[in-house]
Amino acid sequence: MNRTITIAKKEFTDVLRDKRTILMMIVMPLLAIPLLMTIVIKVVQRQERKADEEQIDLAVVGAGYAPRFFETLQADSQFVIREDVREADFESLIREDSLDAGIVIPPDFQDRIGADEQASIALYYRSSSSFKVAEQRLRGAVDSYDEEIVDGRIRRLSLDPNLFDAIAIEARDISTMQEVLGKTVGGFLPYMFVIFMFTGAMYAGIDLSAGEKERGTLETLLSSPASRLEIVLGKFVVVATIGIASALISMLGLYLGVRGAIGEIPPEALDVVWDILSLKVVVMIATLLLPLAAFFSAMILALAIQAKSFKEAQSILTPFSIVIILPVAFGLLPGIELNAQTAMIPILNVSLATKEVIAGTINPVHLAISYVSLFALAAASLWFCVVWFNREETLFRN
Amino acid sequence: MSGDMIQVRNLCKEFKITRRIRKELGAGAPAGKTLTAVDDVSFECKPGRVFGLLGPNGAGKTTALRLIATMLKPTAGTIIVGGADTATDPRGVRDRIGFLTGNTGLYDRLTATEMVRYHADLHLMDPDRFEERRRMLFATLGIEEFANRRIARFSSGMRQKVSIARTIIHDPDVIVFDEPTTGLDVMTSRGIVNLIRQCRDEGKTVLFCTHIMGEVKLLCDDIGILHRGRMYFCGTKEEFEGQMTHASYEDEFIHMVGEAA
Repeated sequence: MNRTITIAKKEFTDVLRDKRTILMMIVMPLLAIPLLMTIVIKVVQRQERKADEEQIDLAVVGAGYAPRFFETLQADSQFVIREDVREADFESLIREDSLDAGIVIPPDFQDRIGADEQASIALYYRSSSSFKVAEQRLRGAVDSYDEEIVDGRIRRLSLDPNLFDAIAIEARDISTMQEVLGKTVGGFLPYMFVIFMFTGAMYAGIDLSAGEKERGTLETLLSSPASRLEIVLGKFVVVATIGIASALISMLGLYLGVRGAIGEIPPEALDVVWDILSLKVVVMIATLLLPLAAFFSAMILALAIQAKSFKEAQSILTPFSIVIILPVAFGLLPGIELNAQTAMIPILNVSLATKEVIAGTINPVHLAISYVSLFALAAASLWFCVVWFNREETLFRN
Repeated sequence: MSGDMIQVRNLCKEFKITRRIRKELGAGAPAGKTLTAVDDVSFECKPGRVFGLLGPNGAGKTTALRLIATMLKPTAGTIIVGGADTATDPRGVRDRIGFLTGNTGLYDRLTATEMVRYHADLHLMDPDRFEERRRMLFATLGIEEFANRRIARFSSGMRQKVSIARTIIHDPDVIVFDEPTTGLDVMTSRGIVNLIRQCRDEGKTVLFCTHIMGEVKLLCDDIGILHRGRMYFCGTKEEFEGQMTHASYEDEFIHMVGEAA
């Protein structure tokens, strides 16, 4: 035990002086989320501003057949109306971006409206272009004119407006905002935590195994009285701690990101965000990440010790990183929930349980199954790691 | 029990040739499924004497040393170090030895003091005893002036000095040197040669592995010549010189190895 502590202390000192480990363990997790939040907020704001300011070149054929509707369009500053374009030219002009959209009002438009019949308007647009926003606005203008006509008809015929709304849905959403955020944003957070935990642990793990081989220090360590088990445990503790630290630092990054974006987040949502970042939730997520960090660390050490150099270890572990990301990404899919079955699938259970913890809807039984599954996996991977460290072919490939 | 500190009896070590190793070795891979690196080797090392294990590259010297240091397990045979059997008490063996490789094997991000303390702690040394040994070794080897600087900026000579301090900080009975002067300048090599002499004079058992004949003549009391895993000669320096048919150690060694080939 003393030697395990000695090895762990030395490895901590060693890796914490490595710039690469510091970058992957502290700098990246701390800055990535605030940076990502800032970029997303800025991009969304820019898109909204652009959509508000954007004017749409709209060609109208047959404006005289619907003067009231035409007046509505003309009054809207978002539309730049053109009456000099023929319907036959609509397609070519829209394709070459000289026109955003075109509408054709048929000669019988007013007659049909007057006869309480349905009139139609032809709309030319290109759904593959950015006209999608403009299409919505145009539909909005048509809908509001349509509503005006229908209201007039109902009044004129002295009909009850409820005649056309046989069923009214009175939606009463019993979800709290925390639940809504948990199920939406909550799926994204474990993705970040797991990635940072893996990358943080990966660089330290490679340095303490393949890096040790490459530097020739493994041989001197093996000639010391420390047993292979003590060596593995000493290194394992350090790699797992760095993995957990990376994940916790990414949570700190999230906290800083939220603080930086306070002005951009609605006050009612902000209260919920602070609840999500409460000590209780953070501790629960950390306890889920703990066995996962143990699994990652043992696997990283077991795989990296196969390599003769840092570079070779990186090439071995890169495909493994894709394998671990897949279950996390799977947890983002709609309809995938934490139940007795999914709680048994490592990594996926962390992803789903984190969502439930954030939403405040975690089922204790499912949580317990997740813990058992993760600790069993961590123990198995540690055993596997010790076996690999005892193999002569692994340690002395040369 | 004899006065031998290291007793090696009928030692054999075979390595399985896996597909990956065969691929890495390419045309140089052996035809069979195993490679015999050490084949029925026996020798003894006595306290206060330097045993020189000689052989060309690939002779099996490093494998033999790794077997003695319990890094590898023998396929057959026994190794006893200071009364401890490598098979039943590997930690007891490692407690008694200091192992210095040609590759200095140091951690660049640690200071010289941290590096040496690490190995002292692995030997569970008493802090007072460590401090006493550290002062003595650092003064003898001239490490004191760069004791608290990180190893990354050290010259190869400085690195080798720290490596030596690390090897003998726990005052081992047996010191194993695996080609310790490879790639070093004349001054640093001479320093190591002097250290080996000092260890011998202090009554330590020194197992010294090299292919530099000048060092063998200068240092060794006993000689073992290993080639293709087999011991071709094992005896005292006087016995070796008595059966020489060539003028120099080098010519005799080449003749012996050439005949074996």
